[in-house]
Amino acid sequence: MQKLEHILYRHLNRIRRTMQWLALLFIVFVPILNVWGFHEIIGTFYSLTIGSLNIVDPSLMLQTILLSEQVKFGLLLAGIIPLIMALFFGKTFCSWVCPFNLLAEYTAKLRVKIFRNQTRSVNINPKPQVYWFILGGIFLLIGVLGTPLISYFSFPGLISAQITDTILFATVGIEWSLIIAVLLIEFFYKPRFWCKYLCPVGAVLAIPRFKNSLSVQYESKRCSVQCSADKSESLCNTACPFELNPRKTDIYPYCFNCGACVYVCQNNGGHALKFTFHPEKPIHSNHKSLKQEELYKNEPSAQTTTNLQEV
Amino acid sequence: MILEFIERLSNLSYPLRPPGALPEDDFIDRCIRCRKCAEICPYDSIIMAHGHRGLKMGTPFIYPQKIPCYLCEDFPCIEVCPTDALQDVQDQRDVAMGLAVIDESLCLPFNGIICRACYERCPIYKEAITLKDQLYPVVQKEHCVGCGICEQVCPTNPKAITVVSAHK
Repeated sequence: MQKLEHILYRHLNRIRRTMQWLALLFIVFVPILNVWGFHEIIGTFYSLTIGSLNIVDPSLMLQTILLSEQVKFGLLLAGIIPLIMALFFGKTFCSWVCPFNLLAEYTAKLRVKIFRNQTRSVNINPKPQVYWFILGGIFLLIGVLGTPLISYFSFPGLISAQITDTILFATVGIEWSLIIAVLLIEFFYKPRFWCKYLCPVGAVLAIPRFKNSLSVQYESKRCSVQCSADKSESLCNTACPFELNPRKTDIYPYCFNCGACVYVCQNNGGHALKFTFHPEKPIHSNHKSLKQEELYKNEPSAQTTTNLQEV
Repeated sequence: MILEFIERLSNLSYPLRPPGALPEDDFIDRCIRCRKCAEICPYDSIIMAHGHRGLKMGTPFIYPQKIPCYLCEDFPCIEVCPTDALQDVQDQRDVAMGLAVIDESLCLPFNGIICRACYERCPIYKEAITLKDQLYPVVQKEHCVGCGICEQVCPTNPKAITVVSAHK
């Protein structure tokens, strides 16, 4: 088990990137198979039907209930399935599946490449209230305007629907301009603001959480000296796409379990960060000098140099 | 002002919706633009609205001149709709998508040329479109479901018989 975990951590980023591309391939192949007459899997990331299993984006389910003022059992059931997944795995959909996240990650990568001397704001985890306030605002706006806003701003759905349109009708929709506009803002002004603060899909998936939800766990006594446990500019901080500090408890609801911090920590000598279903309060021991050499005696020698481009 | 702008954007047109569609405003509220109805449609009748339809972009509609709705027995599009924006329909005759309207200045029989294209192809045969004096087609409002087959088969250009959405 431990060994499996070790292999998983070693290839975490690669596994995740593969998953993302497979998800993208999946939404490309669904309409292609439909054109060929295979109708067992239909839909987009707005709503997907696999055999007789019906899944609906929970944010759209809430929007439909709000706008139609009716609760239909079938719709409720279809929307609850992703919520149950999110209860155990957090916003893993966002980091491991969502095609917009894939685009945004490459945009951020390009930004790092082009604006080399970018300043990174100090990692202070924003208050959860900000996140919930924005989500509440979106739903309030939907109620006031009576307009299905989330249908336009559910980017995973929008991207998959546009791909479907292109394959079925050979058209390119104006909706892409929304996505490009957000990506341009992320590129020039504020990286990853959409996924971090605004996305209603992720926000609704962040609602279900309990004590055994998948979490990033920090253990300070295993924090490597080379990586400077006390500084704000450590590997895990720098790796986080949302500029969160994973060494604090309050990374949720912002953190989407992409594992970038866990990856750099596990592969650079420290083993302070890990994924767990049994998170505890971060273990901050006062004996930081607790013989680091002894702790890591049996483990591969710590590498001090890292290539952040690779991260 | 913003509200007015959105109102204007969302009311640009009343396209012909798939069978069982709710009244336009409710339909817009319910439809989550998932594309499932378009993917399942065996005749590729259902297509998707684009940006020129304002905030209705991404919603399904039927353009009968190109491919009309052939009124499947089991209505797969209604079956796959996850939000009941397309409501259950018991029978072909209960569909109320739209209504065919004849422009007599274009219609061939009214101009002295015999033509029975719409009459012969109407799926609600002899009921939705009847012939007055064995010659002139007349649409019976209470029977026409708005499938648009008549519009597609109409030989004139522009079409003498067109289908308008029931929700206009």
